[in-house]
Amino acid sequence: MVFDEFFDVVVIGGGHAGCEAASAAARLGANTALVTLNLDLIGQMSCNPAIGGIGKGHLVREIDALGGIMGRVIDRTGIQFRLLNRSRGPAVRAPRAQADRTLYRLEMRRTLEATPNLSLRQGVVTNLIIENKRALGIELQDTRRIGAKSIVIATGTFLNGRIHTGRRTYSGGRTGEPASIEFAEALKQLGFRVGRLKTGTPPRLDGRTIDWNSFERQPPDEQPVPFSFSTDEITQEQLDCHIGFTNERVHQAVRRNLHESPLYSGQITSVGPRYCPSIEDKVVKFPDKNRHQLFIEPEGYDTNEVYLNGFSTSLPAQLQQELISLIPGFEEAEIIRPGYAIEYDFVDPKELTPFLETAEIRGLFLAGQINGTTGYEEAACQGLLAGINAGLSSMARPLFRLDRSEAYIGVLIDDLITNGVDEPYRMFTSRSEYRLLLRHDNADDRLEPYGRSLGLVGDAEWDRLFKRRARLAAVRQLLKEYKIRRQDESYAHLTALTGQDLGDSLSLAQLALRPGVTPQTVSSILSDAHAEVTLRDLETALADHLYSGYLETQTSTIRRLHQHDSMKVPTDFTFTQVGGLSHEIVERLERAQPKTFGQARKIPGMTPAALSNLLVHLTAAAPTV
Amino acid sequence: MFELNDTIVALATPPGRGGIGVIRLSGPGSLQILQELVAGDDFHPEPNVLTLRSLIDPATNETLDRALVCYFKAPHSFTGEDVVELHCHGSPILLRAIIDVTLTLDARMATPGEFSLRAVANGRMKLSEAEAIRDLVDAQTDAAARQATRQMKGEISHALQPLQDELLKIIVRLESSLEFVEDDLPLIEQDHLIASLRDLRSECDRMASTFSRGRLLRDGIRVTLIGRPNVGKSSLFNGLLGHARAIVTDIPGTTRDSITESMGVDGVPLIVTDTAGLRVSTDQIEAIGVDRTRREAADSDLLIVVIDGSESLTEEDHQVLSEAVNRRYIIALNKSDLGGFSATRITDDPSSIVSVSAKTATGLDRLRAAILEPFTNGNANGEGLLITNARHHDLLTRTIDAIRSSENLLLDRASEEIILVGLLNALRYLGEITGETTSDEILGKIFSTFCIGK
Repeated sequence: MVFDEFFDVVVIGGGHAGCEAASAAARLGANTALVTLNLDLIGQMSCNPAIGGIGKGHLVREIDALGGIMGRVIDRTGIQFRLLNRSRGPAVRAPRAQADRTLYRLEMRRTLEATPNLSLRQGVVTNLIIENKRALGIELQDTRRIGAKSIVIATGTFLNGRIHTGRRTYSGGRTGEPASIEFAEALKQLGFRVGRLKTGTPPRLDGRTIDWNSFERQPPDEQPVPFSFSTDEITQEQLDCHIGFTNERVHQAVRRNLHESPLYSGQITSVGPRYCPSIEDKVVKFPDKNRHQLFIEPEGYDTNEVYLNGFSTSLPAQLQQELISLIPGFEEAEIIRPGYAIEYDFVDPKELTPFLETAEIRGLFLAGQINGTTGYEEAACQGLLAGINAGLSSMARPLFRLDRSEAYIGVLIDDLITNGVDEPYRMFTSRSEYRLLLRHDNADDRLEPYGRSLGLVGDAEWDRLFKRRARLAAVRQLLKEYKIRRQDESYAHLTALTGQDLGDSLSLAQLALRPGVTPQTVSSILSDAHAEVTLRDLETALADHLYSGYLETQTSTIRRLHQHDSMKVPTDFTFTQVGGLSHEIVERLERAQPKTFGQARKIPGMTPAALSNLLVHLTAAAPTV
Repeated sequence: MFELNDTIVALATPPGRGGIGVIRLSGPGSLQILQELVAGDDFHPEPNVLTLRSLIDPATNETLDRALVCYFKAPHSFTGEDVVELHCHGSPILLRAIIDVTLTLDARMATPGEFSLRAVANGRMKLSEAEAIRDLVDAQTDAAARQATRQMKGEISHALQPLQDELLKIIVRLESSLEFVEDDLPLIEQDHLIASLRDLRSECDRMASTFSRGRLLRDGIRVTLIGRPNVGKSSLFNGLLGHARAIVTDIPGTTRDSITESMGVDGVPLIVTDTAGLRVSTDQIEAIGVDRTRREAADSDLLIVVIDGSESLTEEDHQVLSEAVNRRYIIALNKSDLGGFSATRITDDPSSIVSVSAKTATGLDRLRAAILEPFTNGNANGEGLLITNARHHDLLTRTIDAIRSSENLLLDRASEEIILVGLLNALRYLGEITGETTSDEILGKIFSTFCIGK
């Protein structure tokens, strides 16, 4: 085969998955190319201009700890940082930031361009070159052929993308950009099981036409908490967001015009994310709710464009303008870009290995929305894993995976490859059975050692982790040893705060578990004698302490329930041989073809009795040691 | 689901009265449980050798039984794990009590087939085909019991479903407040939440408390007829049974030895024993019979004190009644067909007094109903569902503990993710009976309950 160029790794797509993949592969030492439709749109935020949130923020911290780039880029371009769930426990707190959409994209491009071993190429990929079930390269529309040892496909919503506004529908990957039609066809030809998903986006308004006084101001945190463990401080200017509400007049207008919505006219049949419903869905499915919340978010420092979060819609553009003006404060508001719905192809992720490599074709990795996920963070973490493994594979090094108990990334990939998707998959902390363990603030401790051994974590970060670990050990010691006594000045205040008698003497560690005591409380006690203890370190040490008692309760039941999950289902196993299973259960098992007991356990409709029976049979069939 | 790392316990001999009853423990904690039972940390039994020891309840220091105990050291045992066998006296009540004590010492009730499963898992049992183990599982219960368990399984799931739904509702409230902090969700009222959890827990409690009666219904209620000689115990026994099993004569003291027969009343198994009449006798054989009667009486779940209602109460009748004191008993006032019969002869207050004539079969149906009454009634909601399976009882108990811990955390104003640890565990325990709830289902419930999302 003659190639115009040859790389170790080729990444198709320059979105959030593609960027992480290309960066990781190149930094592992693989000669890497990122091929994308439009180099000017690398790192484009196609939907809301924000990164993070509960679950998602956890993912970004994990990406950062492994040596990914998303955290650093948002830290440099975020215009409003907020730590969510501040009033709750540390395991469910997570950072979130609004981004300057343009700056984010440019910073991402700059980061990639500064990466050694990484080449950017613009072009339309039309086909994969496969031989003997092994990926060899790609073909471009302009007839160029690029050879590669491994390939990462991260095409987002572009595969057969179809945009809907009202009754009008047209082909497109994002608004204003062409879809990938030929390449989608090529993937189908290769035998991948392909399905359709849907997502949507709200209109963008001209900020100059909004009466801002009609809306409640949502200020940024006074002390922005960065995403990256290597960012010490966020120094750029921080902006306000605003909160508003729809009203019954809007809802009535939506109801009157439902026939115009492709979601309700039958034009769109694929499934969209339930946690990101369109305004049509909100009005129809929750008729008793007389208002729905809206977030009015700036798109950046130097633009008037404003993102109307919460108003995702595929109604006709003219109608969107009408609906908006029914909201007080938006009477004069002008839509710059109308919202739309988009349908796109995804590949059944059950055909992937835990390394995100396709089971069928060696050297071919899939990452991001193509695997049925939604969200920048979900895409980026898959891109990172796929990029790492594409790089490792090209160098014939052993591949890398994460377990559910180690990282949300492990949860995400395991969920995808085990259960597949029937709606766009988004991360939530409740998806993890190890929630108390997988905190955003300990992602460095959990994952940086992996990043280091892979070669993605530099000396400076590694050194920082070691120093932090040493500091945390000292803080833990201090919490145990530092005693508050009845005669201390702060004692009366603490008694009042907790509403409890604290005894003659207690340690800071004990005090921290009393109601009403926050890390700030502890910090202020320590501020005089131990000014060296930072609030960040204190928070981590106290979180470990707070959860230590519950971690055992959380994990022992899970261990008990899941201990057989790794038991293999022999390839020649027939489920009909398991006596006592109903016809329906056998059918479900045969359809799902679980490879392990754990996969069988997660098939919907499996009864405890059926699982016991299956387990007995698998145990009997397993070779005894 | 099966677990392979803890210690399980079960009765190894068939249920019901036998000469001996063997309780088997398997798992890493077996030896320690044995040491605690014999109150000797320094008891280091030689493997595979039977030793006579007293079994003592560590909580009360009460001696339960003198038993032959045997320790089989892993891997040289039936299951390949540490195994302990307790060869006890064959009283079902005694065996239950000993198993209950092992449960407090951290053993868990084995599920059917679990010993065999461990044996297979540890390579102690070679099974060329998987089907064989299933046969083993099935062999542990007879066809009727299997049928009953199957029905019961469906019924229990059905009864637990509303509890699981309620628990899920609470979890959904808490989870959504964690995950969707920016959404416009209704506030959770702590008082309301605590009340819901308390209701849920007391409902679980109520179901769990049916277990003691439930397992009688499964294993059979042991009923013993006692009375002074010649009041018609054997006639009543035959009457209940529906055929002449016991010899009946007018001669007092005809029944020298106890006779036991099984019968079903409304689908509930009864194990009814006719006994020798209680009296002071100089006849040596009769005296042995009387002695045996006392033992039978001690083993039974219910005594039927038979009294001749056509005569005045004798000293012997009072003697018999005093045997029944502090026990669950009913009085069968026999010979209602005779002229001198008076239904108001007894003024004590037993659970129930039934006038009956063994001769004419009058009142037998009422007697049968009276036998079942203490075991089937008093079910608060009258739903009649009883927990009969030890594993279900165990899981309900764990559910209750888990919910209680969450209630306490809620009172301490702990953060939601900590409160949820116990509630999610409770959901998993209930799920082991009714079917697992996946995190996806929890999320699905959130999205259908609340309008979430930007």
